[in-house]
Amino acid sequence: LDEQFCQIEDLQDEASPNFAEEVVSLFFKDSARLMTNIEQAIEKNPRDFNRWDAHMQQLKGSCSSIGASRMKNECTSFRNSCGDENDEGCMRSLQKLKREHGVLRQKLGSYFQLLQQAGPAETATRPRGA
Amino acid sequence: LESAMRPEERNGVAGRVRDQFPVGMRVLAVDDDPVCLKVLETLLRRCQYHVTTTNQAVIALRMLRENRDLFDLVISDVHMPDMDGFKLLELVGLEMDLPVIMLSVNGETKTVMKGITHGACDYLLKPVRLEELRNIWQHVVRRKFGNRERANVDGYEECNRPSNADFDNVHSQITCGSPDQSGRPSKKRKEYHSDEEDEGEESNGQENDDSSAPKKPRVVWSVELHRKFVAAVNHLGIDKAVPKRILELMNVDKLTRENVASHLQARHLPTLFNLSSTGPEEKNCANVMELSDEEKYRLYLKRLSAVASQQASIVAALGGSDPFMRMGAFEGLQGYQGFTSSAALSSFSSQGLLNRNNPTSFGIQGISVSRPIQIATGNSTISHSIGDANKYHLSLPGTSNRQGNLAHGLATSIGQVQLPQKWIQEETQDFSTFISGNGMVNSVPGTLRSVTNSPLLQQDLVECRQPKGVIQPSSSANSERLEGTVGVSSSLMDSHVSQQSGLPSSVFSASALPMNGSFGSTNIAKLGATSSGSTNICPSNDLRVARNNEVGASSFGSVILLPPDTAQTEKYLNFGGGSSLRHNMDGGNADSLVDPKFMWSSLPTSQAPSTIGSHHPLSQRPSNGSLGIKMIEQTSASASTTAPQTKIDMFISGDMLMPKNTSDSSFPRINSELSSSSCSFDGLLNSIIKVEKDDASFSDDLGCDFYSLGACI
Repeated sequence: LDEQFCQIEDLQDEASPNFAEEVVSLFFKDSARLMTNIEQAIEKNPRDFNRWDAHMQQLKGSCSSIGASRMKNECTSFRNSCGDENDEGCMRSLQKLKREHGVLRQKLGSYFQLLQQAGPAETATRPRGA
Repeated sequence: LESAMRPEERNGVAGRVRDQFPVGMRVLAVDDDPVCLKVLETLLRRCQYHVTTTNQAVIALRMLRENRDLFDLVISDVHMPDMDGFKLLELVGLEMDLPVIMLSVNGETKTVMKGITHGACDYLLKPVRLEELRNIWQHVVRRKFGNRERANVDGYEECNRPSNADFDNVHSQITCGSPDQSGRPSKKRKEYHSDEEDEGEESNGQENDDSSAPKKPRVVWSVELHRKFVAAVNHLGIDKAVPKRILELMNVDKLTRENVASHLQARHLPTLFNLSSTGPEEKNCANVMELSDEEKYRLYLKRLSAVASQQASIVAALGGSDPFMRMGAFEGLQGYQGFTSSAALSSFSSQGLLNRNNPTSFGIQGISVSRPIQIATGNSTISHSIGDANKYHLSLPGTSNRQGNLAHGLATSIGQVQLPQKWIQEETQDFSTFISGNGMVNSVPGTLRSVTNSPLLQQDLVECRQPKGVIQPSSSANSERLEGTVGVSSSLMDSHVSQQSGLPSSVFSASALPMNGSFGSTNIAKLGATSSGSTNICPSNDLRVARNNEVGASSFGSVILLPPDTAQTEKYLNFGGGSSLRHNMDGGNADSLVDPKFMWSSLPTSQAPSTIGSHHPLSQRPSNGSLGIKMIEQTSASASTTAPQTKIDMFISGDMLMPKNTSDSSFPRINSELSSSSCSFDGLLNSIIKVEKDDASFSDDLGCDFYSLGACI
């Protein structure tokens, strides 16, 4: 995660207290969808690199918006493989992506949980804490 | 902002009372990626804009079509499933005339280029940062400002800062002055007048008729209408695509020439541009970008002339010819500005123009050439103006071409601006300034000058020319340029002219352009001499040109000053950003380049920073090189704002005139000033004028010094 994520967190405020978390979960939902699309595309349209590339570009956009830098890098290498028409390379990148995605989801999940726990203790603006 | 946010008020939408634009600006965000969209929305809200989002382009279009006044700005992703982002961009631009910003993960140059040529005001890369979004409101303002000029819109007061008002006035003056000029310009003029006073001047006989009627109902350019328009333009050829003929060919009811002219200037030129053969010269005015820069420039020029009482004659001269020129020039210039919108322009200029340094390439230089240069940057507008201007004198360029390099660089960058200038100058025909127009030609510098300052220069050129008789058209080949350019500063020019005394070429006519003198620089060798004489007068450097050769760059007084040498031209290109002036400076002559400052000043908006660097030339002449260069560097950035540059040029020339390099130090100031004064055109004029008056004064506030510069020139 890079500083973009910090920006996202910064955007959180009283008006949208759970903004960061919301965005992140939205991301996970959407990226899962996108990755499924990619997998399907790979299956149904073998060697259709342009199409794969287009999908991947979308995913990349999402990643960069929340600051998932490792994933974003994988996206880039996937796209490069597409450019080289490298089937294998693409598959490998995709696998890595899925892995990173899972890792990220886990970590962020814990992160937010922690925040929640720490929340009530910190500030009154945190809505949680019943 | 008295009219305070016209858009808001008018719209009555949300009945929001915007007390402080840009707060509350209404943005429409379109992106198929939900994550991105959400983040974007939140960021925008954080900037205190009012945001509406949609993930489908078709919905966005529908919303916009229902009521275009609902929004001030549109931000759209490039890759969308239901419609290509660029297509949406085009449609919105055409139908609703709203500024559109593109957004994408993809930052490849060619993609960005595509965005720009389709009319995007800006192109952002994902992930988008808050700081970037904080600035987007300027696009709205700029557009309004440009529109106003063109269409006599009543108003964007809101956008206009008080200083703008000044500018307007200048415009009006300028426009008025030239009334007799070609009927063509008249249309343009009218636009200017729209706000300002002009009333008296407008009568200029030419078509002022519209001008007096400030408000013109805006014509909605539907896709079909636009197609006709484009077809007509193509048929005529960019060069010959004058509003009148276009109108005839289009054969549309209720469409006035003004509408067409306005449209021509407007952003659509780029598209046009694409359509018509963008040949190297692009003379086409494709740059519709909003002539406003040009107009401004013209106005500025006018103003300059006005300012320089002595120049009164000039003004008169200009008025007649100028109006047209200016208009054209401005329009063209404005176009520049349009260009500037993007760095693209600047990039162009630099690339196109400077690279060209080939003396021959400069053909533009001749001003006519320059135009193309402008085009390069996006000049499309310029082409527009140039067309006219080309008519004018650009013929001169023939001579100047030698300047090739300078001219190129300048021309290119400046060309945009310059061209307008040249025209202006040319218009004034009286002036020998022709040179200015031509001057540019001569050495590109001239063009540069014109271009660079285009907004400014033009005036200057025009103005200068008159008084000086154009600074010396003598060098005409090069010097002419100088003159031409110089002429611009008319006020400046005067000074230059005198200065030049030796330099035939330098004629740079102090008029802002003088710097141009330098432009000619290499070729001009004379110019070098002259250039210095010219505004940029940096006697030697004038524009560095002398130095470099192309000094022309430097001379541009404002922006044009750049770079005399072809190499430098690049610098000029910066002007595009405003730096154009500066180039000259780099010549080493920073001294004369004072322009750099000007340049920025003209750029104030965008370029200022860069140009200022160039300003140095003014004072610094010898050492200035660095200054100028600095400016140039900066300006290059601004390039987009071409307009700003011109101003700077102007000043610089002023400074330059003063060979005094006193400005050197002062310039830097000026730069700042200049830049600040985006509106400060007037200031520029003043500065320029002042410059003339006091060489030294120049230093203190370039912004103000413009006047002196003018004077100096």
